[in-house]
Amino acid sequence: MSHKHEFHYDLDLAMQPAKGTVSFDQTGQIISFIGDKILLTLCAGDITEMSVIGGVGCGLLFAKMNDESEILLCRFTFSAMKAAGEFCKVINFYIQTKQYVTPEEKEQPVCEKCGRPLIEGMSVCLFCYNKISVLKRALDLLRPFAGKILPAELFLATSSIIYLLVPLFSRLLIDEYLRPMKGTSTQVFLLAGAMFLARALGELIYIFSSRVFNEASIQYANHLRNLAYEKIQKLSMSSLSKRTPGDLIRRVMEDTGNVRNFISDGGRWAVEQMIIFVVVLIILLFTNFELTLLVFIPVPVVSIALSRFWRFIHIRYERQWRKNSKCQSILHDIIKGIRTVKAFGKEDMEIQKFSKATRELAQVSSDNEAIWARLFPLMLFFTGIGEFLVLYYGGQKILNNTLSLGVLVQFSMYITYIYAPLRWLVSFPRWLADAMTSMVKIFEILDEEPDIISLPNPKNVPLSGKVSFEGVSFGYKSYEPVLKGIDLDIQPGEMIGIVGRSGAGKSTIINLIMRLYDPTQGTISINGVDLKEMSPEYLHENIGIVFQDTFLFAGSLYENIAYGKPEATATEVIAAAKAANAHDFIMQTADGYNTIIGENGHSISGGERQRLAIARAIIKNPSILILDEATSSLDVETESIIQDSLNRIVQGRTTIAIAHRLSTLRSADRLIVLDQGKIAEVGTHTELLKEKGIYYRLVMAQRKTSKIAEVS
Amino acid sequence: MEKAIQKEAPSLAYAIDIGMIDLKNAEFYMTTGGFTGLKYSGQDYNRITLRRAFPIGNPMEYISVADKDNKEIGMIRSLSDLSEKQYSIVLTELEKRYYSPTVYEVKSVKDKLGYVYMELLIGRDDSKYKKNCALKDVSKNIRMLDDDRLIITDVDGNRYIIQSLSGLDKKSFKRLEPYLF
Repeated sequence: MSHKHEFHYDLDLAMQPAKGTVSFDQTGQIISFIGDKILLTLCAGDITEMSVIGGVGCGLLFAKMNDESEILLCRFTFSAMKAAGEFCKVINFYIQTKQYVTPEEKEQPVCEKCGRPLIEGMSVCLFCYNKISVLKRALDLLRPFAGKILPAELFLATSSIIYLLVPLFSRLLIDEYLRPMKGTSTQVFLLAGAMFLARALGELIYIFSSRVFNEASIQYANHLRNLAYEKIQKLSMSSLSKRTPGDLIRRVMEDTGNVRNFISDGGRWAVEQMIIFVVVLIILLFTNFELTLLVFIPVPVVSIALSRFWRFIHIRYERQWRKNSKCQSILHDIIKGIRTVKAFGKEDMEIQKFSKATRELAQVSSDNEAIWARLFPLMLFFTGIGEFLVLYYGGQKILNNTLSLGVLVQFSMYITYIYAPLRWLVSFPRWLADAMTSMVKIFEILDEEPDIISLPNPKNVPLSGKVSFEGVSFGYKSYEPVLKGIDLDIQPGEMIGIVGRSGAGKSTIINLIMRLYDPTQGTISINGVDLKEMSPEYLHENIGIVFQDTFLFAGSLYENIAYGKPEATATEVIAAAKAANAHDFIMQTADGYNTIIGENGHSISGGERQRLAIARAIIKNPSILILDEATSSLDVETESIIQDSLNRIVQGRTTIAIAHRLSTLRSADRLIVLDQGKIAEVGTHTELLKEKGIYYRLVMAQRKTSKIAEVS
Repeated sequence: MEKAIQKEAPSLAYAIDIGMIDLKNAEFYMTTGGFTGLKYSGQDYNRITLRRAFPIGNPMEYISVADKDNKEIGMIRSLSDLSEKQYSIVLTELEKRYYSPTVYEVKSVKDKLGYVYMELLIGRDDSKYKKNCALKDVSKNIRMLDDDRLIITDVDGNRYIIQSLSGLDKKSFKRLEPYLF
């Protein structure tokens, strides 16, 4: 194992492909080299910070030197971006602490089989992923439902075998009774009756097995859906933010639905067709070996033709699906933003945009239908070749008296049974692949390791509200630090205002206190206990938070307030509403606290929504209250009403507030001014104004803006 | 008929100064540390960032110049306004920021459980080399830039450009075709 940290870059300084390395060893030496050629040597002692800058499709690594100059070390594509960020972290840690972190064995995970780098967040290489193992895992999850599925399969097999008796009866009827004209009408009736009964019985058993199959598949999909949903709830924000809400919804609903369809249709069909194929093959071989061979002569040609046909048609239908999805997305977008479209008078433009998309969809659909109409009869013809051969050869044999008519009829009937599984065999891989894609997507969620780990024996001490940051650094992407070396002590009951320009890291501080993310360096503790040692559930129970964009769930006002404490009594709910100045407007509604609000609370105003959010946050009586731009979206009058309630509520609680409107934070015990991820100034409003630094400039800028607003 | 009093609103370009850099007083240069710097209006910015306002439609005009704190110093209206030497420095810096190698050939495309793996022959200038990449959500990550140009973005965020779809060889086009829409 190497004792050096190595970062492998893939572009030279002129942006040409290269295989270069920057190494960093415990002596603090940083060397950039390509092959044997050393390009640059630096000493960590001469550096204040190592940084990464991301461009478009590429990035660069550079050192900020003690003399304030900057030196470029190397350039690389985005494939190396994450590794560059990690490399920086190691060097910066050394610069700050003089401690050398021993390198871990493997920095960038690659597939052991093909050497391709693994996709971020995945532990397997999809290129080499073993389909059997996916199937096996899906079957393992199916085990609890085996009690239903196995008998259903058994019934299905029975029904298939009963169906297969019909051609045998036909042969018997022709050869034993009709052809020699020896049978009586009773015998013919009995045989016809037996055929009828076989069909009827087969159908009945089939219906029964279908019901059991469907039930089991619904339960299985439900089980998968719950597993995925539970996991999503437990995942950290950093895991969740890698995916869009739509993607997560699709995994929980659509993908589980696909798996269900596969089991209830594809899986059942597969078993049925396999049984039929094997049984028919055995019957045919025992009946007439030569004719059986004739049946199979066209099989390779038919299989190849079918496989080509499906591949060809699949590509075209996929394109149709995509065009359809584009139409849907345009429609979704426009309907959602219809107010904006109308306000700008762009109805005609949007009509044209949509008609263009639907025209394209119509064109692709019509082309596909035309292809289908031309090719499908051809395919049917191909699959019928075996039948012609059997009829011709069998007919010859009948004329030569070496074969009975009954056997030929039986063969003709069985040929259909043989070719049906063949049609299935060529389309089944695609069907299976689609189901497996869905399965893998579900497993990807189930396998995701939560990066916010809850210890088995958490130290859930009573929280009085003392919050400490010690050397905290953090970045949502490892190569883009948002907070750098934050040291901060917040006393119990203190009100802290965090100010700074957009992107300075204000909300990130809140996210870290909430432990939605863990710091990349340093520790955050409450009452001396590291947040990592506390259970996230306990922490969240003790922190109340009001966001700028409050999300209200569909339900009653009561349920929305009691969301933070479902066991709250009516008295507590009313008390919380009163404290938040929400009680009065609630009482104005016809149904009071039982008023139902729509999705995202559309029927109430912004100010009312914020008051509900405040009530929801304080009902838990939290020792720490976080106000993340809680009143930013409100007008001054509404803000002052809410500010009144907030002033009452913050008494005796540690309060951390972020606000763009600096006047809101005037009463804070201390203001923390963040600039480029670092604490730039600390003090009261008056102290910071005297300092005439960043805070002073922010206040002056806001005063200027509000004067302009007043004048206009 | 009383003549209506009409006051024409001033054009936006007149009302808002978009801060074009006076190129006569600007000097772009290479720093000893390997970056591009700018001497402008008596100030020396020793690491600047250049960004294209229209990287796809109009990459040679409206270039934003920002200092090391990402604060915009001003904009260059058109690269053609620069002297030959200055043009070369600015263009080199831009090419180092926007890295999108050209795709010459699509060697293979394989759909693997919701991801698409591609083997591409890519390059910039004269060098060509093979690159394996994985794509997620092809409908978003294979995007037509115009009628003939196409951009492919892989899971790492690397971008590859097909300068002319119609100029691709038949096999490459056939491999890619199912993913175009």
